Amino acid sequence: MTLRLQSAWLFEAVSEIASVDSVFFPVIHRFSALNWLSRREFSLSVNAVIASQAMLLRAWLDGKNGSFSDKNRQKFNQQIKNPLDMSMNPFRAWKDRWFDSQQLDYLFYWREAAFEIEEESQREIFWSVVYQIMSYWLSNRACEISPDCHPDEIMGLMLSRHQSFISGRDAKIEITNQSLDELEAKKAGLVVFPLSLADDETPEVTLQIFFDAWQNGHDDLELSRRERRVQLRKFQINIERSNDYYLFTKLATNAQIAALVWSGIDLPPTFYEQQLIRPLQKAFEERYSNSRLLMKAVDRSSDAYDYLLLFY
Amino acid sequence: MITVFNAVLIILITWLTYMYFDLREKVTPAQDRYLQLIDGVASIIDCLEGYDKPHSQEIARLADQIGTASGLNAEQLQSLRAAAMLHDIGELLLPRNLLKSEKKIAGDDLELLRTHTLLGELHLRTQIAGLDEVPSLIRWHHERWDGLGYPDNLKGEEIPVAARIISMADSISAMNAKRAYRSRQFAKSEDIVAEVKRLSGLQFDPQLVKIWLEIGSPVETKQK
Repeated sequence: MTLRLQSAWLFEAVSEIASVDSVFFPVIHRFSALNWLSRREFSLSVNAVIASQAMLLRAWLDGKNGSFSDKNRQKFNQQIKNPLDMSMNPFRAWKDRWFDSQQLDYLFYWREAAFEIEEESQREIFWSVVYQIMSYWLSNRACEISPDCHPDEIMGLMLSRHQSFISGRDAKIEITNQSLDELEAKKAGLVVFPLSLADDETPEVTLQIFFDAWQNGHDDLELSRRERRVQLRKFQINIERSNDYYLFTKLATNAQIAALVWSGIDLPPTFYEQQLIRPLQKAFEERYSNSRLLMKAVDRSSDAYDYLLLFY
Repeated sequence: MITVFNAVLIILITWLTYMYFDLREKVTPAQDRYLQLIDGVASIIDCLEGYDKPHSQEIARLADQIGTASGLNAEQLQSLRAAAMLHDIGELLLPRNLLKSEKKIAGDDLELLRTHTLLGELHLRTQIAGLDEVPSLIRWHHERWDGLGYPDNLKGEEIPVAARIISMADSISAMNAKRAYRSRQFAKSEDIVAEVKRLSGLQFDPQLVKIWLEIGSPVETKQK
């Protein structure tokens, strides 16, 4: 299920309740969703449940590590002159189904090249740029469009895009990679829980599965999918089981305001009242005495709305 | 022989037909006036932004062509047209010297300029009731398919299709427009087609690029 985190809207709503300067995300669905917040005066604590997501957050949002150096660009973004031997390529099972042979040559070469990058922060930028390139190739392939951009050209383009994205960034951001059992409540003005209401595999999830397989050097997507499912299991709650709300209440203990955000279709207000808000109100009643539900129209014909539920 | 029932039925149908035409007569000119009003506001924005052509009208036309070919329904097309015309309305709330700048905007000024998406949405949402998703479409007309746009960094299908269409039409129209801070980027249609294809999967939804190519890659070009 699609999830749209509208940070400016969230803060417009929160600022009517209290002044907030720190935000805690126990989980985040996608690194770039935090761009708006990371460019403002907020202290952010973000936990990525999956290791590759933590790496993306460090590479694209932190900014302390700068951009990919010119020296490394020249060394690691080379053009492959002749096709490589496909029988040696660990991702050959993806050939013609997901990527063409030239793209697979580069995925093989880039993975080997990444291990030769000495500085870890530089290596993470390189990995994260390959993540963006995989996204670009997969989405074009899904629409049967052959991009005119050569792989080394797109790598150069993405590295420049990364450079401009982190330019002028002075984010106060703490990034962790813990399971939700290990994670402790942070002292913050606001804790945000981005909710995904169904476990359908979105294109972003598919991309993460591909990337994790690629980074681990194999082409077994089912293995990658299973590992991801195991890592995310703790975050799956059944709204009908009140014990499942324990995770929310535990992680919201030290926050002045708790926010739940989700996107979905328009349902009768009584559904939200009875199925979601009341059980949560009950779960949070010792911590928060008020709640407020806000919604915004996104697409009238498909009945799509974005929701924001605040406890304070 | 006309029964009482039939007589009542005829009267009822006549009355309903009268009501329908009466309502249509009242509603249609109002809709025209509404569109003319939007046209007027959009032309002020274009002028303020320093475009050398009716940019908003051009993107509304392009968006309409792509939206129709994408199979959007009448309601969606109506919102698409209104949002395409008013997409930059938030710029009216920014300092004038920022928009008239002859240099490429960067740093804090760029951050300020980028707030026009939020200002436009907020202003329309609070001032005019009943616009439904039009303010949201205005908020997201600078989002990119790869998630590196603004203000919310939505990615792929998280961005409503109408906002994706406006974003693409806006960029295509801007590619051959002369601005205060730069000359025209591309004068020839084939150069614009190449650039749009290059940005497929980065800035633009590949599916929309495909549709745009299928309908003959419409774009209004001007010679340098």
